Amino acid sequence: MKKILPPEELARDSRFVRLSMEDRFSDRRSPGGGGSTSGRTGPTKLTPDAPQAPDRARALMHGIFVGEIQALEGAGRTCWDFEVGPHFDEVPFALKLDMARQCWDEARHCEISIKLSEWMGTELGEFAESTFLYEAACNPDPVLRLTGVNRALEGLAIDVFNTMREFGQSAGDPVLEFCEDWMLADEVTHVKMGSDWLRRITEKDPDRRERALEFQRVVDKLFSLGGFRGEDDDSPIRLARKFREMAGFTHEEVDEISDLSKQARAEGEARLAQANAS
Amino acid sequence: MADSKKPRPAFAPWDRRELPGMFDVEETARRVGHYKWVEMRLFEALGGWVATVPELDVKLRLGTHCYKHAWHADLWNKRLPELREMNTERLTVPPNDEFVTFMDAITEPEGPDQTLEKLVGVYRVLIPHKIAAYTYHLNNTSTITDAPTMRSLRFVLNDEFEDWRDGEMLIQSLITDEADVQRAATHQARCEGLIVKAGGIAGPGSIGSTDVAVPEEVTA
Repeated sequence: MKKILPPEELARDSRFVRLSMEDRFSDRRSPGGGGSTSGRTGPTKLTPDAPQAPDRARALMHGIFVGEIQALEGAGRTCWDFEVGPHFDEVPFALKLDMARQCWDEARHCEISIKLSEWMGTELGEFAESTFLYEAACNPDPVLRLTGVNRALEGLAIDVFNTMREFGQSAGDPVLEFCEDWMLADEVTHVKMGSDWLRRITEKDPDRRERALEFQRVVDKLFSLGGFRGEDDDSPIRLARKFREMAGFTHEEVDEISDLSKQARAEGEARLAQANAS
Repeated sequence: MADSKKPRPAFAPWDRRELPGMFDVEETARRVGHYKWVEMRLFEALGGWVATVPELDVKLRLGTHCYKHAWHADLWNKRLPELREMNTERLTVPPNDEFVTFMDAITEPEGPDQTLEKLVGVYRVLIPHKIAAYTYHLNNTSTITDAPTMRSLRFVLNDEFEDWRDGEMLIQSLITDEADVQRAATHQARCEGLIVKAGGIAGPGSIGSTDVAVPEEVTA
């Protein structure tokens, strides 16, 4: 079995439809895509009384489901791709054990997401899948991989699950609220793993730490999705400060993500204005 | 109420544990090192396969089982220093080259159309051999001096039985015609042949020996 499995080789059954990143971000119907901000004629926060709330919640849940599959695959590949050892392209034994634990957690999240999707009236494969999460899990440097996946993307998962949990509360859906609460607990654990390993492995290598944090910034900005995630009142996905700090983010690091989200939103709105003018 | 000062035996009448066991500390450490090595190779492979398997139910099971074998590796890793092996990497080795060849064959299937081979190698060959070797160890070690290893063996065996059942049911659900039967049997025979050459997951003697000493007058 080869090391580093490219995203195009991810195995899926016939129900799944793959969407390229380019198509994903140029599709106006996608969150943060081609101008998700085109819908910003009013608040786009996910609220139960919004006319599109059921479909948006179903689409988001399906996105969570495929994200969980890729998180499972990424953690599994980290178990396989790196040998145990002290060298640059090797990892500590305990890190591999953490990744195996994450495999189990992500497998449960897939199961939960499938049950929730059924509960919400969604069929698997009803929405397209893009492989952006797994792509971050292909970085050949294990520290960059862990930082990109466990801090940036799992950090986004904290924001998403917290938002969905609140949506479940406000919609009076105890099943949704219950499940999101459990998944949120796991995600805090995964982000903390990423924070801990980043600090431990790069303790004596500040350059590598900075490269990892820069990779995280790139991923964070990309997945601020044109302002889809942020701290504005109408942000569809709210930055979950309390849970991020539990997971090892400093106050300043959360501020930085908040700023990146504002930038992403401004850029999205500029793109929209340009598109509307042409 | 019973008199609390009345002498009682240290071993209650129902406690039949005995001191003798087949393995000394050194032999136990050797076996435990091999166990850790095989559990590591297994959890790495299961983790790697998750992305290569299109069947959703299999994908999720492999992710779950991956963690269990990693946990087993951690149990054995923690046991080694308790067996006077402070450099745990020294004994984290395969029992012999033949066992490496066997594990290479187990982890060789990669394509999305080879789920059956992946499962057969693990659940019809490797895990049954693990269950056999762990059971032999559990049944033959000193029930007093080696109680910590026995406790871990019981936890591990519980997982192995559950996972074997999961895997076997997945295999049965994937075998739908004679061609599948042949595919499964061919791969199983190949892997079984290789592990026989290796002598099992801890090398020759993994499950003891069934040879008996025959008196000369009988053989004459």
